[in-house]
Amino acid sequence: MSFREKVASGKFVVTAEVAPPRGTDWEPVIESIEPLKGKVDAFNVTDCQRSMVRMAPLPMAKLLLDSGYEPILQLTCRDRNRIALQSELMGAYALGIENVCLMTGDFTTLGDQPDAKPVFDLDSVQLIETASKLNSGYLLNGKELKGKVDLFLGAVYNPFAGPEVLQIWKLEKKIKAGARFIQTQPVYDVKLAEEVSNLVYSLGAVPLIGILPIKSLKMANFMKRLNPTSVPDSLIRGLESASDPATYGWEFALDVARACVDFSGGVHFMLVGKVQELANFIDSLKNNGNYRQKF
Amino acid sequence: MVTVKLKPLDEILRSLSGFKRVYIIGCQLGSARCKNGGLREAYKIAGYLELKGFKVTGVKSPGGTCVLERLDHSSKSLLREAQESADVILSLACGAGTQLIAENVTIPVKTGVTTLFIGSEREGRYFEEYCIACGDCVISDTGGICPVARCPKSLTNGPCGGAIAGKCEVDPNLPCIWFKIAQRMEQLNELEKLRKPVPMKDYSLSVYPRKLVLEE
Repeated sequence: MSFREKVASGKFVVTAEVAPPRGTDWEPVIESIEPLKGKVDAFNVTDCQRSMVRMAPLPMAKLLLDSGYEPILQLTCRDRNRIALQSELMGAYALGIENVCLMTGDFTTLGDQPDAKPVFDLDSVQLIETASKLNSGYLLNGKELKGKVDLFLGAVYNPFAGPEVLQIWKLEKKIKAGARFIQTQPVYDVKLAEEVSNLVYSLGAVPLIGILPIKSLKMANFMKRLNPTSVPDSLIRGLESASDPATYGWEFALDVARACVDFSGGVHFMLVGKVQELANFIDSLKNNGNYRQKF
Repeated sequence: MVTVKLKPLDEILRSLSGFKRVYIIGCQLGSARCKNGGLREAYKIAGYLELKGFKVTGVKSPGGTCVLERLDHSSKSLLREAQESADVILSLACGAGTQLIAENVTIPVKTGVTTLFIGSEREGRYFEEYCIACGDCVISDTGGICPVARCPKSLTNGPCGGAIAGKCEVDPNLPCIWFKIAQRMEQLNELEKLRKPVPMKDYSLSVYPRKLVLEE
């Protein structure tokens, strides 16, 4: 079953993030996720994440596809205007890439080439509208396409950003524009994960809760600086007293992921460091009698 | 107003090297308001240039250097005066004023400022960019606050996911403008209007160089 079919049929899906290389060595990237083959349902290929230059996500997604992995192509509005975005989306579909996750993108000055010209011709909502328009057989200007596009559209949501009502309305706009799955920023609190899942379901899409295991107290504090309300005090205290903070942070994140099986559409792992451990975890979920029907 | 910033003195000196007689033209609109190129600054630069061995043949700051009539009129022409007395003009007006000077004289024109933005002024010292002249104004729908100019990503459909604790992801010293817009729209009882998807912007309206021609 493809990622799209699983999401559509209400199965619990696991996605994970893959960053293209800084350069052209793509083989090691694919080798590194080998243990996750057949376990992770689809891999998000990031689009010069944090505005750091890397190989383009479209060729990387195609390389994943050719190596037997299902990709989710991430596309941002940072570096491409509507002409480039439409052509990129058509190109992706022609190459057999079915899933896309569309977002505004980090700002240019936050990355390693801050002197670049920011584009932001469209925003995330408008990019999703654009993809839907292509799916309906037309370009933005109304011209008919030769050959169909049938992309499965996803978007992102940060439950910690504000103002809350505008963030929820923007999520609603994304879903109305055609987003079928929503991947969230990392969540470390089961109650919040459930609230977010309910929200996304109520708006008509499938939630995939973001999971980012914390490796150290330093990383936790970094995350807290980025997003003060995202890291609960219990996690900080636990990391402080743990003899092995990395293991503590890992288990903490997996507990959230495990809980999500009960109420969410899936989880989205944003850091695939412990690849074998993640593979084992997914196996343990799938082999758990209570969950088996969900996979 | 259009805000400008004086260039460092050594950079101004470098651009004037090889010249002897300098005529300085400021602007009493934007450049003077933001204290970076009005009459005061023009005289300051004049003093500095005299110290460095230049002959300053005149210092003027019209009330609008980007208005040709203020520079060149049949009865009184600032440009003629400058051209006859100096071998270079140093302009402290914004890019528009400086170019208008350059178009209408035969001697070289150098700029002593860099043009920054269309801004508002507070307490005589805080200048903030409020408008990017996009040619397609949306502020009637956003509580009179412009997300196109005041959000680095020009987002019109609401804040991005980087709007944490009211701050902008691009610069933590900058408030996310969408918090202000939400607050204002709530006061106006119009918050619900922000729920409606906003169409893509027509960027053909901001393709430069633009023109405005008045009917006779």
